[in-house]
Amino acid sequence: MRDLLRQPNFRVGFCLLLIVAIAVAFGPALAPYDPQAFHAQARLQPPSATFWLGTDQFGRDLLSRVLTGARPTVLFGLGATAAGVAAGALIGLVAGVSGGWVDAIVMRILDGLVAVPDLLFALLIVTILGNGAGNALLAVAVAFTPGLARITRSTVLSLRGRDYVVAARARGEGPLWIVLCEILPNAMGPVIIEATIRVAFAVMIGATLGFLGLGAQPPSTEWGLMVAAARQYMARNIWTVLVPSVAIAMVAMGFNLVGDALRDRLDPRARR
Amino acid sequence: MTAALRISDYALGYRTRRGVTPALRGIDLAIAPGETLGLVGASGSGKTSLAWAILRLLPGNAVENAGGITLGHDALRAMRPRELTRLRGRRIGMVFQDPSTSLNPAMRLGDQVIEVMRRHQSVTREAAAKHAEALLERTGLRDPRAIMRRFPHEVSGGEKQRVVIATAFACRPELILFDEPTTALDVVTAGQILALFAELKAEMPVAALYISHDLGLVGRIADRVAVLDGGQIVEQGPAAEVLRAPRSAAARRLMDAVPDPAHRLAGPRPDTTPLLEVRDVSVTYGRPGALGRLLGAPAAVTAAREATFAVRAGETLGIVGESGSGKSTLARALIGVAAYTGRVRFADQDRVGGGAMPPAWRRDLQIIFQNPDASLNPRHRIATILGRPLRLYRKVDRAQIRTATIGMLGEVGLPPDYADRYPHELSGGEKQRVAIARAFAASPRLVICDEVTSALDMVVQADIVRLLLALQARHGTACLFITHDIALVRQMAHRILVMYRGAVVDQFDAAAFNAADRHGYTRQLLAAAHG
Repeated sequence: MRDLLRQPNFRVGFCLLLIVAIAVAFGPALAPYDPQAFHAQARLQPPSATFWLGTDQFGRDLLSRVLTGARPTVLFGLGATAAGVAAGALIGLVAGVSGGWVDAIVMRILDGLVAVPDLLFALLIVTILGNGAGNALLAVAVAFTPGLARITRSTVLSLRGRDYVVAARARGEGPLWIVLCEILPNAMGPVIIEATIRVAFAVMIGATLGFLGLGAQPPSTEWGLMVAAARQYMARNIWTVLVPSVAIAMVAMGFNLVGDALRDRLDPRARR
Repeated sequence: MTAALRISDYALGYRTRRGVTPALRGIDLAIAPGETLGLVGASGSGKTSLAWAILRLLPGNAVENAGGITLGHDALRAMRPRELTRLRGRRIGMVFQDPSTSLNPAMRLGDQVIEVMRRHQSVTREAAAKHAEALLERTGLRDPRAIMRRFPHEVSGGEKQRVVIATAFACRPELILFDEPTTALDVVTAGQILALFAELKAEMPVAALYISHDLGLVGRIADRVAVLDGGQIVEQGPAAEVLRAPRSAAARRLMDAVPDPAHRLAGPRPDTTPLLEVRDVSVTYGRPGALGRLLGAPAAVTAAREATFAVRAGETLGIVGESGSGKSTLARALIGVAAYTGRVRFADQDRVGGGAMPPAWRRDLQIIFQNPDASLNPRHRIATILGRPLRLYRKVDRAQIRTATIGMLGEVGLPPDYADRYPHELSGGEKQRVAIARAFAASPRLVICDEVTSALDMVVQADIVRLLLALQARHGTACLFITHDIALVRQMAHRILVMYRGAVVDQFDAAAFNAADRHGYTRQLLAAAHG
């Protein structure tokens, strides 16, 4: 941890995530106004002493909306990634450990899925399942699964021939011990790093789905939706679009920077 | 005459979390043109740090406290990076341990030699190619023109190292650094490379710094020897003198660690019934399936062919041969992770064909691998690593595992608090001790040692060998000692088996290595080991 803190990348990313975490935990409590309250007298205001970050087209306080929106937006990203990682790691582990026909069939199917871009894939799933935050989360998780399965499988394959795994087999350990205790802990490093980077993508895909009207529905304060709803008024008050966009960028950058630093730290080949 | 390389009162340290750790102190060295200086020391003595310091390729946290490094008339420490780039390869040549990592895998071998020459000398491509061909021919490569067109993965390790050596000599440098250039090669090839080194040195008056942990080897090729211990040069003098009468304790320790076939470590051969009988065992890798054959998959590779031998209870059988000769494959077949054809009889149990072994077999036949870094799971504590065989074989209950584990650590000479450590917190020799403790956990009847000492330096190797022999004697265990170190195997094995290209070509008593009816390859091995 101390080595990590010495990296400027990590320090910046960590600070960004700390701000985001505070917003997620205490956002609604910190918000100065009700995020849904209309202030008809003060529509599309630039930042002022009363409304620190200005107001939107209905006169709703942008600071309050951004603060309350942190929770659905970030939890969406984390949830989608966690679900994708769990499914992907399981599939990759099964394919890598069993090998042979199982591996060949599973991986060929995943190859087909990888060929479809994440966003397109998510769009497809939401279109089939219908709108809503829950379906959007599921869609992103499913879109992430093939990539993570591939990473897990390749790690498992390289571990399977290691001497300590051969030693465990020769010793007569059961398959469950070999998979769960010998292989899995060593395979998790690359998967966790990939996951931190994917969180940023999940937040962005979630925001994009919200922007397209396929994710969270109004009057939700989800950041992507905020950008989408305000874009018509962008010319009259740039802050309506700028505030949620900057918030999304902060989360994406925070996770990316921390993920990069973690990768440099945990990858023995990159360490020097 | 000025020295080719002069290091005076040089000191080096590394900045770490706990301040600056000294790596080298008060180094005084001089190598005259044409002279070979052998730099010997155990691992961690600072040999490689010194090499990096001469090449000016020190890591970012290096702190140079004092002293100077002079090449000819030029002070290297004062040079700017661009001058140093011009100097490396032109005035200092380098030959590293592993030729497969020092050559660019994406470049033809010829281009790599030519590139070095064209970078440092204003010659045309044609002239450089011509010179490269002559150089490669001089290093003993049979068809240099064909070799130059090949990529590194298309030639053998020995051929690669010859190309690296040709590159190092290409610009007629003033100094060449050799960092353990033969440790990654098999015995016969290593012997040839050493002979080549001597020939080239005789032709070209270049100064050489030869770094190794093997004092015996350095003594054969160096004019003078410097012994490094704890970052200081503790002894320096003519090679013959240092070898005959080492003055410092470090030099004596290095000297004692060199295996001497005349000094037998094994007792008399036990007069018991055979414990393990292997008859006509063959192992084949990569047999293509039906679909694979249809699509023209490459044919299967037979890694071990009809091996037949026997090991008596308590006996040590040494298996020697170059890398790829099928030694390790045979070991994998015996522990049940590779399928084989033929018959194996172990402890009065017959098995045909391999596959999973019965539990009693697994308990009685254990294996220790070459590299403890790979054979100990990095995410498990030592207590877990040692506890597993206890749980599996001795049915020790949870409460007693802790005590039993500490007992095992004591048996291999490690303190009890190591139980809570992770493998990476231990040194290479300590890790190998843990691997040995794991193998001996259930008093096995046969232990397979697969190159257990080749990842360790000479001094640690000697300790590990002593430990193995002591444990073997205490448990009455037989041992299958796979190695490429001829001197070592002659010291500790009762019988020796020679493998060549997958087949057992020779079997004899350790004392009869020199007998007249030895196979040609056995004689080659012996000749290489004695340079």
